[in-house]
Amino acid sequence: MRHILVAAVLLAATLQAGAQPSPAPAPASTNAQVYFIWPHDGSVINGGKFWVRMGLRNMGVAPKGTAVPNTGHHHLLIDTGLPSMTAPIPNDRNHLHFGAGETEARIELPPGTHTLQLLLGDKDHVPHKPPVVSKPITITVR
Amino acid sequence: MRPLFSVLALAAALAVPAATATNAPANAYCYIGWPADGAVLPAGKPFRVWFGLRNMGVAPKGVAFENTGHHHLLIDTELPPAGQVIPSDRKHLHYGAGETETMLELPPGTHTLQLLLGDENHIPHTPPVASKRITITVR
Repeated sequence: MRHILVAAVLLAATLQAGAQPSPAPAPASTNAQVYFIWPHDGSVINGGKFWVRMGLRNMGVAPKGTAVPNTGHHHLLIDTGLPSMTAPIPNDRNHLHFGAGETEARIELPPGTHTLQLLLGDKDHVPHKPPVVSKPITITVR
Repeated sequence: MRPLFSVLALAAALAVPAATATNAPANAYCYIGWPADGAVLPAGKPFRVWFGLRNMGVAPKGVAFENTGHHHLLIDTELPPAGQVIPSDRKHLHYGAGETETMLELPPGTHTLQLLLGDENHIPHTPPVASKRITITVR
């Protein structure tokens, strides 16, 4: 009994350690594809409020902190280039996190031209290897 | 050593799937983004089904995370009973890996499609988060 208990405790400790943020990015399937269902590239949006619908093929969505293979959560990059592919994605007005597993979001942007791009992050908000990133799109708000 | 036993017993208790349904926010909205209700689709050609979800998130089966669930696609069937595990068969397709779309091929004829969100244990939420049932024609 003592051995079983020790083994169980050690296993639990190992699993605990596994839950710590790992510096190695999670692998992504090579046919994974993230894309905008809406809006389309070149869309003109009157009023500036719109739903962004985030599409994902050949992978699944999981909230942050969830270690399920072949999953990730969406990040919406607004008017910014791609961040580092080996560090957690920044969390600010230009990098929106959808760590609760959201697949759409209500966004409001000021009048003007804006770029949008989707980037999947793993359980630790780090891009996968290879990165799962959409084509950048340009929209106009007026 | 005895407290350790309690800890293990607690862990075992937590691992047992809960029989009660998970609560969903009242404004959760599930819908089929594509195809549209009444769509006519060519036979012999798979088509994509988009799973739309607002005011909730997607999580794979077995993941306990507030305000999340995973999609189930009901084909040519009614909503299953509330409070019970959603059946898994040809009429009830499970997307337990957190998928948000799928490819589907159906035989020629009229078919109904409906989405139903299930919690970590495949049980519909309270209240159930289901899309409108749409009708499509394959020919």
